[in-house]
Amino acid sequence: MSTRRRYQQKWHETLFDLFNVLFMAGLLVVIIYPFLHIVSISFSSEDSVVRNTVSFFPRGFNTSNYGYILRDRMVYFGYRNSIFYATGSTVLMLLFTSMMAYPLMIDAFPIKKFLTVYLSITMFFGGGLIPSYVLMDQLGMINTPWVMIIPGCVSAMTVFMFRTFFKNIPAELRESAQLDGAGHMAILFRIVLPLSKALLATFALFNIVGVWNSWFNGLVYLKSEELYPLQLVLRSYLYKLDMTAIMRRAGAQGGGDAFLRNQPVSPKGVQMAMIVVAMFPVMMIYPFFQKYFVKGVMIGAIKG
Amino acid sequence: MVKRAIQSFNNNRALFLMVLPGFLVVLIFHYFPMYGILMAFKNFSPRLGIWNSKWVGLTHFQGFFNNPLSGRLMTNTLLLGIYSLLWSFPAPIILALLFNELRALRYKKLVQTVSYFPYFISVVVVCGMLREMTSREGLFNQITALFGREPKMFLLEPKYFRTIFIASGIWQGVGFGSIIYLAALSGVDPELYDVADIDGAGRFMKMIHISWQAIKPTTIVLLIFNLGGILGTDFQKVLLLYTPDTYSVADVIGTYVYREGLLGGRYESATAIGLFMSAISFVILVLANAISRRLSETSLW
Repeated sequence: MSTRRRYQQKWHETLFDLFNVLFMAGLLVVIIYPFLHIVSISFSSEDSVVRNTVSFFPRGFNTSNYGYILRDRMVYFGYRNSIFYATGSTVLMLLFTSMMAYPLMIDAFPIKKFLTVYLSITMFFGGGLIPSYVLMDQLGMINTPWVMIIPGCVSAMTVFMFRTFFKNIPAELRESAQLDGAGHMAILFRIVLPLSKALLATFALFNIVGVWNSWFNGLVYLKSEELYPLQLVLRSYLYKLDMTAIMRRAGAQGGGDAFLRNQPVSPKGVQMAMIVVAMFPVMMIYPFFQKYFVKGVMIGAIKG
Repeated sequence: MVKRAIQSFNNNRALFLMVLPGFLVVLIFHYFPMYGILMAFKNFSPRLGIWNSKWVGLTHFQGFFNNPLSGRLMTNTLLLGIYSLLWSFPAPIILALLFNELRALRYKKLVQTVSYFPYFISVVVVCGMLREMTSREGLFNQITALFGREPKMFLLEPKYFRTIFIASGIWQGVGFGSIIYLAALSGVDPELYDVADIDGAGRFMKMIHISWQAIKPTTIVLLIFNLGGILGTDFQKVLLLYTPDTYSVADVIGTYVYREGLLGGRYESATAIGLFMSAISFVILVLANAISRRLSETSLW
């Protein structure tokens, strides 16, 4: 397009181009710097963290902050729990949502209209925090792993998006399978879902990241720390870790952890390392995730 | 004929079975809590259950309006919502338009990829970063020190709370938010720009008359959604950022419901406040939709 541009650019438009390029460079710095800064602190020596000399790059490179974290059982529990919650809720979400979305595109299904209204209502009204808590309490789900997996696994919006996607699959494929004697269940699992891999991958990834990052449900519904998702472990590091806690862990008066006694750490260094540990998986899957989420937004946009 | 009817019934039976798990999850976890709203009108006793608890009418609503804190809570919720909308809503639109004007495609791709990333970081991480950057030795104080200012504890001073809250929200969401507008922009026929060139339209003319027109419908739909959610502040982030020092501007309905309702055990009045706020939110959504339908023939339903 630019090669056969007929319009002669004016000086203030060139200035705008310059401004635009510089603005984007500024944006890059503003977004990247906080991450770089945190990673740098997490790999710096206790001394340079305390004297506050770290900015872009680690100073006095060492890994004692990570040594401190990897000696904490809670971090392993957090990882295990978050992985379990993320996979569990994602599997249920994909399964229940597809199974609910499929009948909603079959015209012969008698309660199609009713179900659409039934789901739509939940998009505008909800019980809120306290009634949900009381319900979980009555169901005996407080402080169980299930409270992190089941309640959020079906949402109206997702069902409608799945239905829209399924509808775009040529109906002939379903009909010919039906003529061959396949039931609805078989059609869903052998024909519709294999053709919806992009949809399933997109929603799986979004759901995994969403569950991985969530913390509030755990705070409300879980009592014992052994069940905490990783973000709650991170939260307690950020809000509760101070020098006394570190000294206690290291066992300054004898006993305790010899490694920690020989490797000085500061609360800030450990906290930044914990942030890195908590966002590490998301950073790792981000490059693969990328090509899907533009698609994900688009599927959402079609509905919106 | 009969055979066919049986066949169709069997087919439908499969369909009924398929929707059953989803139907039950929605019934139990979406509808039962709605029933639980009845608590707002009762003196809830866990022993009696919601239905048998004593009916007290609007007592809890009156209690909330007589509470000296209620004015502050509603003002905070509303102001945080309005300011967030004012700043956070236009930001991705402007960014998308700027992306659209970038000629260096590789550079554009790089900036886009980087700008989407913060959206996928948990709010706990973001608040952890913020606490670090706003600390006494943190980045913000290093910058203000260049201008000869005294170091401040930014998160302990009420006047900075909204700025920090909203700016970090934009930092996290602006890139990802721009995707939807970029998608609308990618649907524009390039010939339109060429034709405009022939007509002698400059960059800004094209931005206003072609690019902006292309994203206008998306903008309106999202604006209605955002207006509907104006009272639904991200109270989880507030919960991570506020301190008793900043309650005067930061305490919103959501945090109050959590703190006084759930932790303080005042279930009924917290439910009443929640109900009151969702009712107002719903009215705002309906109004915004009606106005938009009138003005631009775009509406949600």
